[in-house]
Amino acid sequence: MSLFKPTRRAFLKAGTAATALVGLAPAVLRQAAAQEADLSPYKSAKIDWQQTSGETITVAVIPASYFDNLIAIAPQFKTLTGIDVRFEKIPPAQIRQKSVIDLTSKTGIYATHAADPMYYSLYAANKWVEPLDSYVSNKSLTDADWFKFDDIIPAWRNADSIDGKLYGVPYDGEVTIQVYRKDLYDAKGLKPADDLATFVSNAAALNTPNDRVWGTALRGVAGAGQNMYIYPSIFREFGGQWFKGGKLTVNGPEAEAALAWYVELMHKSAPTAAANWNWPDIADAFSQGTLASYIDAHSSASVVNNPEKSKVIGKVAYARWPKGPSGKRVTSIWNWGFPINAALPEKKKKATWLFIQWAASAETQARTAHRFAGPTKRSGVNRTSIWRDPDYVKLMNGFGHNFVEATMESLQSDTDVDWRPRVPQWPAIGDTMATAIQSALSGQATVKAALDDAQRRVEPMMRG
Amino acid sequence: MTAPGASAGEDSGDLGRVLAQRERKFAMSLLAPAFLALLATTTFPLMFLIWTSTYRMDLAMPFADGFIGLENYRILLADERFWSSLLVSLIYTGSTVTLQVTLGLALALLVMDMKRGQGWFRLIAILPVVLSPAVVGMIWRTFMLAPEFGVVDYLAINAGLGSKNWLGDPLLAMISVIVIHTWQWTPFAFMVLLASLASLPEDIYEAARLDRATAWQRFRRITLPLLRPAIVMVVIMRTMVALTAFAAIFTVTAGGPGTATEILNLYAYRKSFTELSIGYGSALAVALLIVTIVISGLLFALRRAK
Repeated sequence: MSLFKPTRRAFLKAGTAATALVGLAPAVLRQAAAQEADLSPYKSAKIDWQQTSGETITVAVIPASYFDNLIAIAPQFKTLTGIDVRFEKIPPAQIRQKSVIDLTSKTGIYATHAADPMYYSLYAANKWVEPLDSYVSNKSLTDADWFKFDDIIPAWRNADSIDGKLYGVPYDGEVTIQVYRKDLYDAKGLKPADDLATFVSNAAALNTPNDRVWGTALRGVAGAGQNMYIYPSIFREFGGQWFKGGKLTVNGPEAEAALAWYVELMHKSAPTAAANWNWPDIADAFSQGTLASYIDAHSSASVVNNPEKSKVIGKVAYARWPKGPSGKRVTSIWNWGFPINAALPEKKKKATWLFIQWAASAETQARTAHRFAGPTKRSGVNRTSIWRDPDYVKLMNGFGHNFVEATMESLQSDTDVDWRPRVPQWPAIGDTMATAIQSALSGQATVKAALDDAQRRVEPMMRG
Repeated sequence: MTAPGASAGEDSGDLGRVLAQRERKFAMSLLAPAFLALLATTTFPLMFLIWTSTYRMDLAMPFADGFIGLENYRILLADERFWSSLLVSLIYTGSTVTLQVTLGLALALLVMDMKRGQGWFRLIAILPVVLSPAVVGMIWRTFMLAPEFGVVDYLAINAGLGSKNWLGDPLLAMISVIVIHTWQWTPFAFMVLLASLASLPEDIYEAARLDRATAWQRFRRITLPLLRPAIVMVVIMRTMVALTAFAAIFTVTAGGPGTATEILNLYAYRKSFTELSIGYGSALAVALLIVTIVISGLLFALRRAK
């Protein structure tokens, strides 16, 4: 459905030769990693890593380079703990359904899985996953001084918590930012937009379809993780509140203004085809030089900087979300986190926690990011400390002007826990809203009619 | 083989009955495994579906689950989106079946008169049928219909129609999915009708020609009535498939834009597996089942009516 990065392959400086090795790399690296791995950084933790030695757990992840890197160094985990980890790769469109089926039937197939943060409400309401606070505070399972849980980016920890209880530990995440063509902006004397109105005028100024350059594009295709990934930011920036007097409200003046802004922008300054585009299509079009700007996940920077495909390397720059009429900038708090399946026997739960702790630890995050031996590095590490690490920052600056600053400032100032309505009914609400947004975009319904209809459909969903 | 009992002989009454009974038993024991497998894989899930449809089963609100009788059906009858998806289903089915039969018949008549290359034509024509609908959907979505980049759009631009948003406009999207289904399945109608055409007796046509019947008269008075059973069969088979179509629409538009191409099947899928309202989704599936049964019942009645 939403935010996978299957093509986060090559990194700017790695070059073609390095990317040619991608196919071979995992096997080679896995062996090398198992032999040479220095486990002392892990062993400094004051816990018994071997306490559930001999267990086998299955972990569902999506096919994406940030998980591939983790799989590549997983033999180190086996050596450290004696736990066998079997990884199963499931495309993002299916991983939610598969894990929901596993959880609801209590088969316990997946000890943990890469979870959509919007699903924790549903999981928690059904008690399908374990509250994790007791694991974090259990001294025999977690060395707090070593794990430094508070170092994990706060917005993502909040996104993975319901009513103050932690249900998942973030592994990799992203924020949405403006990506723009610095050369085109400079040629017209434009600056990256500071508010939504300027974003519209910038896009209009650069929109020259006859030269095959369009002003901008936002996700247009319907889906809880597609158009309903971008729209909530606009809705919140226009001052929208998902809950008015405890009642979920998706229509009203703020919503209408937000959706009208989106529809008008897409009609006036985006290619017609963008109505069916998801982020990979947007990033591809941008890397071919046909878009002057877009707002999407910061991790799409790796696509627009792919030396094999991109024609705009060196011309890309970044900025935070433009401010809305409410004065707010609202970015995504998306992350892939790991929960613990409540249907597991006690010992497996412990083994799963050890895996989660290992994967989310600063050491593993570094080993799968800037210290990873392969050509693909991660741009969504979960640790504030790594985002301040000069080695990592240097690597990330290769993506273009202002990349690290825009990402960090967004992470620190623009995240909003109420970005999307976090309720167990989210799958239904997300889909209903996605359909409404698309109806308005395609002209099947007016903005107001589409939102009012969505409201009518959402209300019975919320009635117990 | 000597089996007088099988015929209605007078002297073989008892023996005949015993033999017939034995035969029945043997036939039943042969049938049993398949019958049981069928029960387990089709009848049981169907009963379970109907059973589920009388429950409120909402994964998002497990505390509200429980038996609610016909409540799901009451909601369903008041659900605008159910009616609109039913309408989309009927339009989709009606137009695709009509197009398939008309085009299939026209092609069959054309190819019948081909002296050479008939075999090749048939081979090429059958290709779309053997493709998976999901693959067909992906090809059309990305390769044929994408605005600015797709083949169809390229042709439209060159034909002076200008670039169109084939899957982003409600009406065009509906037309597109109808065309895709027709494109894939017309060869089926064509093959069946061609086979029946080939088996029509030549002497009637000769007699008609002697009577100076025009080509149109021959078609109206001879070909069509003789082809009627084949045509009705094609209509029935294609109607049932079109009513329950899923893969191609799912991959091409996923019911969009908005709900413009959301057939009933897709709505039931969305309710069950995206919105996780299993009970209501089951009720929608049962409604689709009833619609399909009623329509095929009508068609079968039509077939017998002659």
